[in-house]
Amino acid sequence: MEIQGLQMTEPKTGPGLFKRNPPIAGEAEAIERAKAGDAEAFSKLYALHKRRVYTLCLRMLGNVSEAEDMTQEAFLHLFRKIGSFRGESAFSTWLHRLTVNLVLMHLRKKGLQLVSLEETINPSEEDSPKRDFGSRDTQLAGSVDRVALERAVASLPPGYRMVFVLHDVEGFEHNEIAVMLECSTGNSKSQLHKARLKLRELLRQQEPTQQADLKEAAL
Amino acid sequence: MTSRNSKRSDSSAPLSCAEFQQQLPDLFAAGHEGVADPNLTEHLKTCENCSALVRDLQYIADQARQLLEPTHEPSDNVWKKIQESLASDPTYVANTQKQ
Repeated sequence: MEIQGLQMTEPKTGPGLFKRNPPIAGEAEAIERAKAGDAEAFSKLYALHKRRVYTLCLRMLGNVSEAEDMTQEAFLHLFRKIGSFRGESAFSTWLHRLTVNLVLMHLRKKGLQLVSLEETINPSEEDSPKRDFGSRDTQLAGSVDRVALERAVASLPPGYRMVFVLHDVEGFEHNEIAVMLECSTGNSKSQLHKARLKLRELLRQQEPTQQADLKEAAL
Repeated sequence: MTSRNSKRSDSSAPLSCAEFQQQLPDLFAAGHEGVADPNLTEHLKTCENCSALVRDLQYIADQARQLLEPTHEPSDNVWKKIQESLASDPTYVANTQKQ
């Protein structure tokens, strides 16, 4: 959709994901060797992917200790399952999906096993984003740096954070997220929209603080 | 700009902000093919508040992609624990010994 120079675009799967996860030099060879049980190749795969897997776990769980445990779990799982990787998707896409599934399984074991995520990922009323009818504020465009966004994402309610990370950061489609979270596609879309609204709110709150910090630094 | 929050009684009547914003999740999900309804287009053209909202949400979605680059590093302890666990795996042990 393009209106007034604005594009409403969504990341696509297939070729889009490959662009987001381009092949890494030496990776294909390491995969083949790791499939044959080569310990050194497995260690290379760990070195190549540990930061992305760990960052993904950390964003989904919001806790260093749990994120490290899940990173360990993901690579152990990778070691056992790498034989089933057929190269139909980028290796990092496959590894990320494996990691996401493990993290979700972990979360369900922690207490979400009896109720569907569709119900439990909804945050409380006070965490919900406010509707925006008629309030004129400054626009965010151009004013948000990576650190500010990272901080805002970390303070999202878990359900919003999960869908936002999976869709907007990792590039999964709503239908894929719906399967992973065992919710409807509509629910995934709605959670993502609420997550973005909440982020907008959080980023706007951060703006005055950032400006005050800059003024203070200039003095 | 004025907000039009009244309930819709006539499909040809201009959309209210509430009605427009209700459709945003689907519009964003539809991407390029999103706006077929001229009422939506018209509202977006004429409502500063909703167009600013859409711009901000799109900006957030665009900025999110830069978060794909990893910024965090697991401690060395993680690899140590992985190796400890693998040490009990006969395949791994056999291959380590071969090397």
